[in-house]
Amino acid sequence: MNDAILQVRALRKSFGGLTAVDGVSLEVRCGEVVGLLGDNGAGKSTLIKCVSGVYQADGGEIAFDGATVTFSTPMEARRHGIETIYQDLALANNLDVGANIFLGREVKKRWFGGLVHTLDDKRMEGQSRKTLDSLQIRISRLSEPIETLSGGQRQAVAIARAVYWDAKLMIMDEPTNNLGVPEQHKVLELIRALRDRGVPVILITHILPDAFAVTDRVIVMHRGRKVAEKVTARTNSEELVQYMVGARDDAVAA
Amino acid sequence: MRKQVLAALAAGVALALASQTAPAAEKLKIGFLPGVVDPFYQVMQLGVERAAKDFGVDVVTQIPPTWGVEAETPLLDAMVARGDLNYIITAPVDKDQMIGPLKSAVDHGIKVITVDTYLGDGDYVKGPVKFPLSYIGSDNVEGGRIAARGLAKAIGGKGTVYINSTNPNVSSVEGRAVGFKEVMAKEFPDIKVIGPDFNLDDPNKASQQTAAALAREPNLAGVFGTNVFSAQGAGTAVVNAGLGGHIQVVAYDATQLAIELMDKGVVTLVLAQKPFDMGYLAVAFAVADAAGVTSLPARVETGFAIIDKNNVKDPAIARFIYKVPGK
Amino acid sequence: MTDRGSTVARPGAHGAGAGSSAQRLALLLSRMWAWLFLALMVLFFVIAVPLSTGGSVNFLTVRNSQNILVAIVPVLLLGLGQTFVLIAAGIDLSVGWVMSLASVLSALALRDSFNSGAPLPIAVLAGLAAALAGAGAIGLVNGSIIAKLKVPAFIVTLGTSFIVRGVAYLMSENSTVIGLPAGVRAYGNDALMYYITGPGGGLYFLDRPEVGGELLRRMEIIFPYPVLAAAFVVALMMFLLHKTQFGRHTYAIGGSMDAAVRSGIPVDRHLIKVYMLSAATAGVAGFLSTLRYTAGSAVIGDSLLLSSIAAVIIGGVSMFGGSGTVIGTVIGALIIAVLTTGLVMLNVDAFWQFIVVGAVVIIAVLIDQSRDLIMGKQRKGAAL
Repeated sequence: MNDAILQVRALRKSFGGLTAVDGVSLEVRCGEVVGLLGDNGAGKSTLIKCVSGVYQADGGEIAFDGATVTFSTPMEARRHGIETIYQDLALANNLDVGANIFLGREVKKRWFGGLVHTLDDKRMEGQSRKTLDSLQIRISRLSEPIETLSGGQRQAVAIARAVYWDAKLMIMDEPTNNLGVPEQHKVLELIRALRDRGVPVILITHILPDAFAVTDRVIVMHRGRKVAEKVTARTNSEELVQYMVGARDDAVAA
Repeated sequence: MRKQVLAALAAGVALALASQTAPAAEKLKIGFLPGVVDPFYQVMQLGVERAAKDFGVDVVTQIPPTWGVEAETPLLDAMVARGDLNYIITAPVDKDQMIGPLKSAVDHGIKVITVDTYLGDGDYVKGPVKFPLSYIGSDNVEGGRIAARGLAKAIGGKGTVYINSTNPNVSSVEGRAVGFKEVMAKEFPDIKVIGPDFNLDDPNKASQQTAAALAREPNLAGVFGTNVFSAQGAGTAVVNAGLGGHIQVVAYDATQLAIELMDKGVVTLVLAQKPFDMGYLAVAFAVADAAGVTSLPARVETGFAIIDKNNVKDPAIARFIYKVPGK
Repeated sequence: MTDRGSTVARPGAHGAGAGSSAQRLALLLSRMWAWLFLALMVLFFVIAVPLSTGGSVNFLTVRNSQNILVAIVPVLLLGLGQTFVLIAAGIDLSVGWVMSLASVLSALALRDSFNSGAPLPIAVLAGLAAALAGAGAIGLVNGSIIAKLKVPAFIVTLGTSFIVRGVAYLMSENSTVIGLPAGVRAYGNDALMYYITGPGGGLYFLDRPEVGGELLRRMEIIFPYPVLAAAFVVALMMFLLHKTQFGRHTYAIGGSMDAAVRSGIPVDRHLIKVYMLSAATAGVAGFLSTLRYTAGSAVIGDSLLLSSIAAVIIGGVSMFGGSGTVIGTVIGALIIAVLTTGLVMLNVDAFWQFIVVGAVVIIAVLIDQSRDLIMGKQRKGAAL
């Protein structure tokens, strides 16, 4: 399936006098991993937050799954199937894996004809176990608070959460920061697993090796504008760095 | 006259016990549960301990850290739970709320003697509360009357006076305010009475409340502090306002601070109660009752020493100042 | 809200789970220490009390255990609400005075409805309703200001506590409300069972035997109604905290406000409910105290706030939010009550209890902190 699941057209977002995103257009299709590169302050995070409902764009439009959308809250974006994993993961460290995966959407058992609802922990743990297994994530003790897990495992839980809730688009913001080398590999594996399942991924990163490892296309932003869009296999680090620092700009050159 | 009867009684009991050659019966155990930590109750404790020594009885003492039923009741319950106390001597901190817990103690076979404050209306013969053995304390209404007359004289019979008190619904300070207002209304119509404010046994608060009264009442001529902390706090406020000597203060309870303030001319009259008597007599009554005496009076008024500048150095009067050795 | 910081794994850290068995044992101990301490304390008093009184007084008697249960009711109820608030990384400093206000309101409602002709049980219910309504209103105000206006909980609840105290005082007559019907005493002091020891004795359920003299002296009152009420509230709180979505979300908000918000949990609404819950337990405490003393008192809860917080902390609720249990709070309250009672039995000055409780609280916080050390992580600074 090669239809674009996400289409961003001429998106603009300003904060006061500062234009953070200046007329950026991009597309994401099913089954592809798109890298979003750029130096600090390039506008990557802001762009993504407009897509995921944290911010509302000042101009341009967003089309998701064929329809034009405006998300006024992150929950709305989530309901449409856009799952975002931020750098701090937004996991509750004091709760266990199952509780985190189902946070805010807990499975409940009804008693006395609906008068009393209790948490169905067993079911939630069972479903979590299934999802983790399907992604080949190994976590031995599912009932311990996740603060006992390593950084990579917690990253995996965040991804598993998005997968469980049938994400139609996954956005990941710098997922390999603060991870040791083996864990970085594991995260990249998971990204590939997502692509293989047909879930498209937008990967924000400034680590070029990661981009070359998993992405199909890369989009480079510089000072709020899109300055390059390349097929990963047909570019190289030096070129991308030049775009990132502003030495080259396809939009101007065109 | 009543005092002589009591003295004879106490002496008689002491002699009777001393001459007893009965086999070592189990020593009488008495619980002492006053209202709160303050010099008045500390002197009372001296009386209790002295009597305990004289009569050869054991005393278990617990003093609540704050004034209130939630502080006194758990200590009372624990004393009852010991199971080895025959009598409890206590100053109930609320004349209605402590009825339940003390009745419970009586149900469990412990006899109760109230000192300084009473339950109900203080009449344990004809009143609504009859279970305590006796009430031993000052006639606080009369004390209030004496304070009123003293203050009226000191301010020349006219002006505004302010009452600062500790806790509501406590028989002792309540009685003092009642007696005070009664005399002012009847005998000194030119004197206006404001208050009482309740400082809840906090001398700092007493000080603040008095200072506020000083600030808002231009004609304030006198202050009546109804007990230890009220008198101290009120006196301090008057001193801090620089009005010592211009505003007359009458203090109930002869703490050392109150006497010092009298020396400085801030306090004009100090009413000393007799807590030592209360404590000693309470133990004596317990001993007498245990020995089978059935004619103990249900109410004993222990009287006052009225201290002013003229007699404060007289040893016969000065002995009533609340002094606790080593404190 | 409190800014709690987050738990950060050191870069490059890897390790599948809680690590060595020594670590797991230390963690287990850190969670169980309150139970151990309670057991040791009881043991200490069981031995020391008879020793110091030459065998005439025993510690673990029926009478004494019932006293302890009765003594913990107010502190425990306040602590139960506070447990929820602390787990949500908040704090409620107004509970003591809400209890006082509830005591006054319930006394007034009880007295006035009885005097207008209502039968006693209805009047008592009116008292409970008044206590809960008044307390709930305070909780609503607290929660709304904290959640919507984002004012720190410490400040808000401190402010409302002053207001509540003034209102309670003004509504009462000279700070107590008396003149309640005499039948109220039974509601506050009667019990589930009565046991008369010795000859002529027996076990009686619910109906207080009308005896006097010797039989009355030997009567033990077992599980007075306030204790049963408190037990019911404990069970309810345990259910709420551990088995419902409400409890789960409370933990989430305290553990990571960010995660809670982004998971779509209506955090503002939830916080309001938590503060209303805390006030409601204080309301029940005030109502029960009115029944026990047959009077409303505007000062009764004044000194209980700090004890309730001490009980909660000793019981293992973290001051930083996100962890704690109801049972822990029960243990904490028991520790304080056992200590007080034991000291009286030993005829030791009651003030020593403050010293011991203070030391235990500090130990509790140290153990709470040490859990992180055991885990090899560091908590970034947290301000309350």
